[in-house]
Amino acid sequence: MDHFPTNWGRPRNDAFDAYGTYPIAQRPKNDAFSAGVQHTQQPIVTGTSVLAIKYKDGIMMAADNLASYGSLARFKDIQRLHAVGDNTVIGAGGDMSDFQYIQTILDELMIDEFTSGDHQTLGPAEIHEYLSQIMYARRSKMNPLWNSLLVGGFKDGQRFLAYVDLLGTTYSASTLATGYGSYIAQPLLRKAVEGYEDVLTEEEALKIIENSMRVLYYRDARSLNKYQVATITEKGVTISESRQLETSWSFAEGIRGYGAQTQ
Amino acid sequence: MPDMVSIAQPIQQSFNPYTENGGTILAIAGADFSVIAGDTRQSEGYNIQTRYAPKVFRLTDKAVLAVNGFAADGNMFVKKVRQRLEWYRHAHAKDMPIRAIARLIQTMLYARRFFPYYVYNILGGIEEDGTGAVYSFDPVGSYEREACRAAGAAQSLVQPFLDNQIYFKNQTPAPGTSFPAHLPLQTVLSLVIDSFTSATERHIEVGDGLEIYVVVAKGSTSAQGLQNLRGVQELTATDDGERVFVVRRELKKD
Amino acid sequence: MSIMELNGGSVIAMVGKDCVAIAADMRLGNQALGISSKFERIFPVTDRIYLGLPGLATDVATLRERFRFRVNMYTIKEEREIQPETFAHLVSSTLYEHRFGPYFIEPVMAGISKTPSGAVKPFIAATDLIGCLNFAKDFVVAGTASTKLYGVAEGLWEPDLEPEDLFETISQTLLNATDRDAFSGWGCIVHIITKDKVVTRTLKGRMD
Repeated sequence: MDHFPTNWGRPRNDAFDAYGTYPIAQRPKNDAFSAGVQHTQQPIVTGTSVLAIKYKDGIMMAADNLASYGSLARFKDIQRLHAVGDNTVIGAGGDMSDFQYIQTILDELMIDEFTSGDHQTLGPAEIHEYLSQIMYARRSKMNPLWNSLLVGGFKDGQRFLAYVDLLGTTYSASTLATGYGSYIAQPLLRKAVEGYEDVLTEEEALKIIENSMRVLYYRDARSLNKYQVATITEKGVTISESRQLETSWSFAEGIRGYGAQTQ
Repeated sequence: MPDMVSIAQPIQQSFNPYTENGGTILAIAGADFSVIAGDTRQSEGYNIQTRYAPKVFRLTDKAVLAVNGFAADGNMFVKKVRQRLEWYRHAHAKDMPIRAIARLIQTMLYARRFFPYYVYNILGGIEEDGTGAVYSFDPVGSYEREACRAAGAAQSLVQPFLDNQIYFKNQTPAPGTSFPAHLPLQTVLSLVIDSFTSATERHIEVGDGLEIYVVVAKGSTSAQGLQNLRGVQELTATDDGERVFVVRRELKKD
Repeated sequence: MSIMELNGGSVIAMVGKDCVAIAADMRLGNQALGISSKFERIFPVTDRIYLGLPGLATDVATLRERFRFRVNMYTIKEEREIQPETFAHLVSSTLYEHRFGPYFIEPVMAGISKTPSGAVKPFIAATDLIGCLNFAKDFVVAGTASTKLYGVAEGLWEPDLEPEDLFETISQTLLNATDRDAFSGWGCIVHIITKDKVVTRTLKGRMD
């Protein structure tokens, strides 16, 4: 048992005076009493882009399986798409521990709603609203959940697709992308989807998503060629197994400093 | 073991709870009507987040609120105002008059004086005496009633134009005549559309779509010309007499 | 505070039908304090070219003399009057010579050029403080009230205005824009340039 109250509630870290050689008065200020609660001031283990589009039958969403630790590709089998109930999928970029916390909150919420026994289930619109309120409340406490989230769903014949982030900012559009995807994939998605939301088939939608994920993998250094695709339609939610991206790097041969060097 | 002790604090880049989401809003009061308009683009930096995010909201059949600045704060503020208006309705069995809504907004904004809603509000509608009203607010609740006001990203482009065309600033009436105190609805709508097309031309954060709300007083003739306007839709919910319309138009998307 | 806003002041130029107009306010200030209401910032370059110099007042004086010198040298060497297009490039290169220690001026110019066939062509141009040229077909603005000028001009200007209508348009634009700018105002001067004369009018403005 650690008998130094100033160490209580702090992570064990040998760099921080493990033997308590410093008198209490001279301890670093962020001890258990002055800052008993740790706030997320920056993301640690992060996920990159999430993409989503509307198509004829519903919503298609994609995210790769990488969780980075800074520039280190730390976890290569992380799920960043999560089904909430039978009509909704959320996808997350940003801090993965915050995202997993959000998953537990929403799963608990769905159980609470189920046990009320009124045979009403929360749809994507309600889940997005609930999530927005949480995100906004946390930013207002200066203790944000460091994520950008996409919420996609299909309920009562209605497609739903919306965004919410760590500031509580929300918006909706027929194509959405977070992180690097908002720079690289969003223009591709808008060109392929805007105006065709009601005619795109699942195959066509998948092609658009796959191509955007490939472009992201080529240009986003924090991305992975292993990803999952979720579809939310009248039939419910499906989140695919992880799939590989087909990539071609032969072009690199011709670029000096890119491909293998011969001289 | 002195090197096991770290006194240095980690470098903290403190979290910024605000951002700016662009766009512009505008309201003009007529004799017996009020026009409240806003573009529908929502952006952050050079990024267009969506081409349709409403900034103008019908509160009651006699009051419309436009919010501009930090979108998350704006939406939350509208939500809270609507909640207070609903409580008022339950307590008094009628809609809150617009001057009371204006004072309510002031106290709600000032309550957050030390962590403000980063939002510029413009409230438009019909006063109890049947006159068109516009109230404008700063983020911490200073407010006044005016005949016209622009706010947001293109405020500096639009407001001087309105000074000239609504208040007839720097103009002299022909001898023996005088300028009207209030303009007819058709003229006001034309000026609103011109203001937004101009702002769209010269400001990157303005564009995509335009929503113009028109609140018309009980028994006013202004509503007549409105029905056959392109892109108009009536939103009136009560039979109090006041009527609310919205006119939707496209703006350039570049 | 920005050097570009130290003394205040704004200039605008507009194209009309076979005519151009250039106008400026007359305020000279030291930040928020008004110093003079008779400050000139538009200067004739030739009979048909006028140059507006909004920005740092000391550079207004310097550049005015510099351009007078350079235009005189051009006239002597070439033995003819400088054309507006040529003058615009002279302005641009003069400013770009000081790319990394610029004059804090954003010039606006207006003139009428005569084509070989004898027809007249209205000309306006503006540059930033390091000489990036902007040849606009409608209007150009610069100075502390530039955003306001853009907004009003975009709303009031229309193509092919006759000289008197152009005068009214540019005057209303300048007056209403400067009334919303704390650093511009205190009276205005307007020049309407047509092929055979220049009409100069001073306008009363709000003094607050």
